[in-house]
Amino acid sequence: MKKSFFAVSSVSLALMLGVGAAIAQDAEPIRIGVAVAQTSNVALLGQEQVIGAEIAAQYFNDLGGINGRPIELVIQDTAGDEAGAINAFNTVIAEGVVGIVGPTLSQQAFAADPIAEAARVPVIAPSNTARGIPEIGAYIARVSAPVALVAPNAVRTALEFDPEIQRVAVFFAQNDAFATSETGTFQETVTALGLELLPVQTFQTTDTDFTTQITNILPLNPDLAIVSGLAADGGNLVRQLRELGYEGLIVGGNGLNTANIFPVCQAFCDGILIAQAYSYSYENEVNSAFRDIYFEQQGKEPPQFSGQAFAGVQVFVEALIELDNTVGLDTLDLAATRDQLNTTLLGLTYDTPLGVISFTPEGEINQGTFYVAQISMNEDGQTGSFVFVNTIDVTAEATPEATPAS
Amino acid sequence: MDQFITTYGFLIIMMMLQAVLALSLYLPLMAGQLSLATPGFFAIGGYVAAVLSTQKFLPAPGTTFPEPLQSFVTWLATVFPLTPTGQGFPIGLVLVEMVIGGLLCGLVAILIGLPALRLRGIYLALATIAFVEVLRVVSLNLPITGGAIGIFGIPQPFPTDATKFSYIVIALPFLLLCMAYVYRLERSRVGRAFIALREDELAATAMGINPTYHKVLAFAMGAVMAGMAGAMTAHVLNTWNARQGTFDASILILAYVIIGGSRTFLGPVVGALLLTALPEVLRQVAGIDGLPDFLAAFLRDGRLVIYGFLIAFGVLSFPQGLLTPELLKRKKKASAPLPPTGGG
Amino acid sequence: MELTTLLQQLINGLSIGSVYAIFALGYTLIFSILGIINFAHGAVFTMGAYFTYALIGSRFGFNGIFANAQLPFGLPFPLALIAGGVLAGLVGVLIERTTFRPLRRRGADPLLTLVSSLGMAVALVNLIQYFVGAEAYSYPSSVLAGLPPSINFGTPEKPLIVRTVQIVIAIISLIILVGLTLFINKTKTGRALRAVSEDGTTASLLGINTDRLIVLTFFISGFVGGIAGTLVGLSVTITGPYFGIAFGLKGLAVIVLGGMGNIPGAVLGGLVIGIAENLLPASAVAYKDAIAFAILFIVLLVRPQGILGRAQITKV
Repeated sequence: MKKSFFAVSSVSLALMLGVGAAIAQDAEPIRIGVAVAQTSNVALLGQEQVIGAEIAAQYFNDLGGINGRPIELVIQDTAGDEAGAINAFNTVIAEGVVGIVGPTLSQQAFAADPIAEAARVPVIAPSNTARGIPEIGAYIARVSAPVALVAPNAVRTALEFDPEIQRVAVFFAQNDAFATSETGTFQETVTALGLELLPVQTFQTTDTDFTTQITNILPLNPDLAIVSGLAADGGNLVRQLRELGYEGLIVGGNGLNTANIFPVCQAFCDGILIAQAYSYSYENEVNSAFRDIYFEQQGKEPPQFSGQAFAGVQVFVEALIELDNTVGLDTLDLAATRDQLNTTLLGLTYDTPLGVISFTPEGEINQGTFYVAQISMNEDGQTGSFVFVNTIDVTAEATPEATPAS
Repeated sequence: MDQFITTYGFLIIMMMLQAVLALSLYLPLMAGQLSLATPGFFAIGGYVAAVLSTQKFLPAPGTTFPEPLQSFVTWLATVFPLTPTGQGFPIGLVLVEMVIGGLLCGLVAILIGLPALRLRGIYLALATIAFVEVLRVVSLNLPITGGAIGIFGIPQPFPTDATKFSYIVIALPFLLLCMAYVYRLERSRVGRAFIALREDELAATAMGINPTYHKVLAFAMGAVMAGMAGAMTAHVLNTWNARQGTFDASILILAYVIIGGSRTFLGPVVGALLLTALPEVLRQVAGIDGLPDFLAAFLRDGRLVIYGFLIAFGVLSFPQGLLTPELLKRKKKASAPLPPTGGG
Repeated sequence: MELTTLLQQLINGLSIGSVYAIFALGYTLIFSILGIINFAHGAVFTMGAYFTYALIGSRFGFNGIFANAQLPFGLPFPLALIAGGVLAGLVGVLIERTTFRPLRRRGADPLLTLVSSLGMAVALVNLIQYFVGAEAYSYPSSVLAGLPPSINFGTPEKPLIVRTVQIVIAIISLIILVGLTLFINKTKTGRALRAVSEDGTTASLLGINTDRLIVLTFFISGFVGGIAGTLVGLSVTITGPYFGIAFGLKGLAVIVLGGMGNIPGAVLGGLVIGIAENLLPASAVAYKDAIAFAILFIVLLVRPQGILGRAQITKV
């Protein structure tokens, strides 16, 4: 958004020209809402999502949009609270969007998704991984795999790296819904694997000093530390763990799954294992294109939040094309479009940057492949990258065990 | 009109509920007490509604009230009309939750108020901030409040109304009742005792006004209002969690009162309505076609910068608040001479 | 609790306590003169950290108006630290000029100033985000070059570990504290400041230029806040525009505990709260954040003037 003032990169310029060539000038655009947090202290995640969604809009318009009709994103800021999310949802619904990608936080989803449900507008959640999101209603689906499927992979990978692991220290941000939900899964995984769970230590996302919690745990000699929080607090916790002498493996939760953690724990980030629902190194046509455009614009590899937002827009675009081919969008009014779009999108299979995905009738994502990445920091201690160390194919396994409420 | 309600229906409900919160802070201020505890009571009220409506009022076995309370609740649900569709959560039960939430908050307010209201000015403000923060951490750790995730899936009296505007049938009478209550109070013996305490506690005490009794009374009245507003907001927001009662909310509510005017009950109401609407108005202004790009971008991404400056400089431009008793009197008797205005 | 663990937690408490203290100094300075809490202090603290970041010649990130901007020069860290403090001091002066002075001139209710300073805090925090985005920024690790990340004061079997950057913060806090105390007690300006804080009206009748002294206080408060921001940023990185705000609430508890407007009190209050938070049993760590406020509440009820404060003043 803001970047467009400063540098219109050659790629986006080319894409804009491409749009003009591929799409009839007079075709009225189809509007898709993007309601994520662009301000407040979760703005960083929301900004990554906006970038992913905008790249998707450019990319699919370049390919011809919805059979010649372009799509237009209606982007609204939800800020970080519930009322903001509801306001943003109401605003995009009033602007006549056919569907909404958002919001950023699960807590906001519990407030805003019922709004879309009652208005019968389909919602694709790009990053809500807490339990109970698709269950909010028939119009709510998500492309963000639930934490119960993603998180355990990192613990299993840590055990592969170091089979001697016995005692596990678990830290989580008690004022963050996502971290609270995630730590439940981590703790169940640790117990299920027969490891010893040391007394769980909590903190707040606004904390910067974690020496109390670390001093509580270090005398118990943990072999593995699992951290669920956000980038700033999680990064500081990792840094202070290392500075106070912890030498074992560290598993980070999804909140740490961003390059924004690098400046926080710097050289100490090295070696953190994080389970991933998206890998930039995944090879298919759409991901290569996405990765190239993202790299061109941002100068780094795309993170998971951008990848999932891209997938969210893609689901709407492909379902709209299908709907246009089968029924014809011009025969439907807005309400009928929203209604049938919801039915259509739940029935299709999509080849996205996340891999091949589909939905359960409830709106839960079926995703076949997950990854585990390890952070590798460069010499300067300021920059680094996620190196993919493990790929887990869950389609081979039986359906995942249901997890009780956290 | 439909379009307007789709976009602003929810906002209008929120504006009304925030106005009640502003009145809840105004009440102790009438008695000269700067209390920032309103969000704490608001949070308690919300939890009461969330717990009752998701766990106690549903017809699941084993989750009912002991008799005869349950019979009473069932009776209420039949006496009060159901929603137009006939399948929503009974409005009557929302009202019951508001009453329970309000009463509980009143009780807590008396317990906290008795020791704390000996403090004055900024010291009382700080003590109430401490109350709100301790409450927040406790609610993160109690099983019944659901930790950081909170309680979600709160049943809706108007399940088919996406805009939430139907809540107007509760919110508007509720706000009007609160306003009428404070209006009457300002003209009653008790209200005049509050004001006497604010103007000069020593003189008021000498005239036989019991300071502790009146201060705790004002504090508890405010708490009841905040608790009731919380109970209703939990339904409007669909979900409730520990982030609803925070220091940020304390400050915002204080800003309603100060910007609106702290000497008449209309001030807080107007302040709350304006400040709650402001970020959304800026959002719409940013969307107007034909604005220069840089301006639209600033209005969109810099909304809160403008908001902050408006609060800071609003106070400078209207040190008495937007509405003052003098201004209201002037409206009434346009020819009457202006009373002198001085510092508060 | 084992003895080593107890000692380690005491050390942890002292180091986080010194952070609370250095933050609260800025609050308490202004309170001592005006009897008002400057809620924008957290934003000034944050800005100090960003100023230093820019002055050492680091580049800003992708988000915000200053995307990829960078100064054409880079100062060495100690110089940038002080320059960042000076710039933060100037922001403090600007806040005084725009939000405090006009209200004071009118003799307005101190409550208005409180709200006005809060509005300023909201505006500044969001202005930071508008300019440089919400990402975390860190100073290059070469700043503390040559120093190990932590020092073990115990034995390898019974370690007592202190993060080096915390020692740096504690030392600089001490220097600032001593400097401020000397300034206030030994210099003519300092004595004038004390006169104003005792009784502003009498002081101005005695020919003391109150306005000039208030500006000076805001500058010193901003300067100390800016330096504190940089140091804490060095310890935990600048975690975003809300960086300083997170300390704002705890800072309130600290100054009440120590005695509002009392400089040694702010330091003592910071250390006491830091230690109290760390002596919590491991199983109760979930309530750590409530400790400061529980203490605040109890102190207000039992001894509202704080540990080192004098009898309660009825300033609002």
